[in-house]
Amino acid sequence: MHIPDGFLSARVALGYGALSAVGVGAACYRLRAQRERGGSALLGVCAAFVFAAQMVNFPIAAGTSGHLVGSALAAALLGLPGALIAMTAVLVLQCFVFADGGVFALGANVFNMGLVSCTVGYCCYRLSCGSSPSPTRRVASVAFAGWCATIAGAASCAGQLSLSGAAPLPIVLPAMLGVHALIGIGEAVISALVVASILRLRPELLEGGADLESRGAASAVYAGLGLALSVAALLAPLGYAAPDGFSRVAAALGLQPSARPPMLAPFLTHGIPGVVSGVLATVLVGCIGTLLLFGSCWLLALVLLPSRRRSTDPDASPVAVESSG
Amino acid sequence: MSPIHRAPAGLKLGASLAFLGALAALPARCSLWSLWAVPPLCLLTALAGLEFRGLLKRSALAAPFLLGVASLSLFETHGWKTSLGLLAKAVVSLFTLQILASTTPVSELLRTLRRAHVPEVLCGAIGLLSRYSSLLVDEAQRMRRARAGRTLRGSRWHWWRVLGNSLGVLFVRTVSRAERVQLAMRSRGGA
Repeated sequence: MHIPDGFLSARVALGYGALSAVGVGAACYRLRAQRERGGSALLGVCAAFVFAAQMVNFPIAAGTSGHLVGSALAAALLGLPGALIAMTAVLVLQCFVFADGGVFALGANVFNMGLVSCTVGYCCYRLSCGSSPSPTRRVASVAFAGWCATIAGAASCAGQLSLSGAAPLPIVLPAMLGVHALIGIGEAVISALVVASILRLRPELLEGGADLESRGAASAVYAGLGLALSVAALLAPLGYAAPDGFSRVAAALGLQPSARPPMLAPFLTHGIPGVVSGVLATVLVGCIGTLLLFGSCWLLALVLLPSRRRSTDPDASPVAVESSG
Repeated sequence: MSPIHRAPAGLKLGASLAFLGALAALPARCSLWSLWAVPPLCLLTALAGLEFRGLLKRSALAAPFLLGVASLSLFETHGWKTSLGLLAKAVVSLFTLQILASTTPVSELLRTLRRAHVPEVLCGAIGLLSRYSSLLVDEAQRMRRARAGRTLRGSRWHWWRVLGNSLGVLFVRTVSRAERVQLAMRSRGGA
């Protein structure tokens, strides 16, 4: 999944580089507070562990082999900001010492294997783990998170390749997802086995950072929103440049008369009045659409899940636990 | 030590970034022009006293991805032109990066990154990583050799289980090593 230089166009490489810089900067900011309590050595040495674990090759179908990416494993062991920093350090070292993955494409690689994979892996792990997981459930959720993280990284990589015009999306996306669905199985098995043996040897290492996780759900939501916004901002110009993809799907579904989203379509074609037109307007419209979608999902969740919300209320929860126990 | 090795890391980094950026900004229809950069790069390699065979061998690691993506672009109209152009660009970029990587030590790179105000958390992680990665890779290989010595025969599932197990053991050893390193750093007045 390491993209070499030469495949990405300048616009894509710079755009994803800026996104990754923002993400890594935020992780550094989060870690600075944690670092005052000690643990700066832990991060560097764990990055070295990820590096060593990436050396492990495992056979997949037809004589090819894949290797561990380790972003979900790192997210489960180090927490989200720590995993992001460790993956970034590993990618920088691989790029500058082994020329594995390009310098100019470093931002895109950090985005795929760091930001996207770690965030997706972390969210999947946390959501499927719950608050006080049994060992079996923890191992299973690490396996699930490993597979999802690999797939998400591969999808993002395919998106970047097609955005730069290296290969059309209908071909590169299935190819990348197909290969990485297999690699993801290997990743899932190894991550699960590693976590199982850590649980047997020193289970307290997996409880680390538990005090940081109280805000985990909220920050995961914000991370997801940020990711969705950035994808919208970067993918919207693609839709602008090649609208026939949408209309083809719409025609196949029999939606020809109202193939465009009714509310935002005038902005898409004519630009936002008095602001801008062209690509920038498309980006803005994409972001606004994502925000609207996010807001409506949020409202729907609030309406549909009232009991969940009450149980997270700090005053109400002890009573609920006592009455259920 | 050749003059290329002695040149400041910031200069080398900046020059390669500028070159790679220009290469990426090259429009798709004239991407074969990038091959004109091969003779100057060969000259640089000779000046730095690097071996062509070693460079080629290390570049071969990226070959599966390169060929895979380039073959995917064959499905477009005029696809072979696109894919040849992509291959040319990628090979020239890889060549540049190999020269940069083999003439710039990590410590120089870190100094440049610190001067560019990259956050200290990340710089520290990269520094520790570069110091400990060879140690951990050695340890992983030792564990693999020991495992191969002990295991007479095993099924495939056994292989996977043992692999995961030894990585888990490696992580636990890594954490205790990190704790010792942290303690030693702090007792000497470090971070």
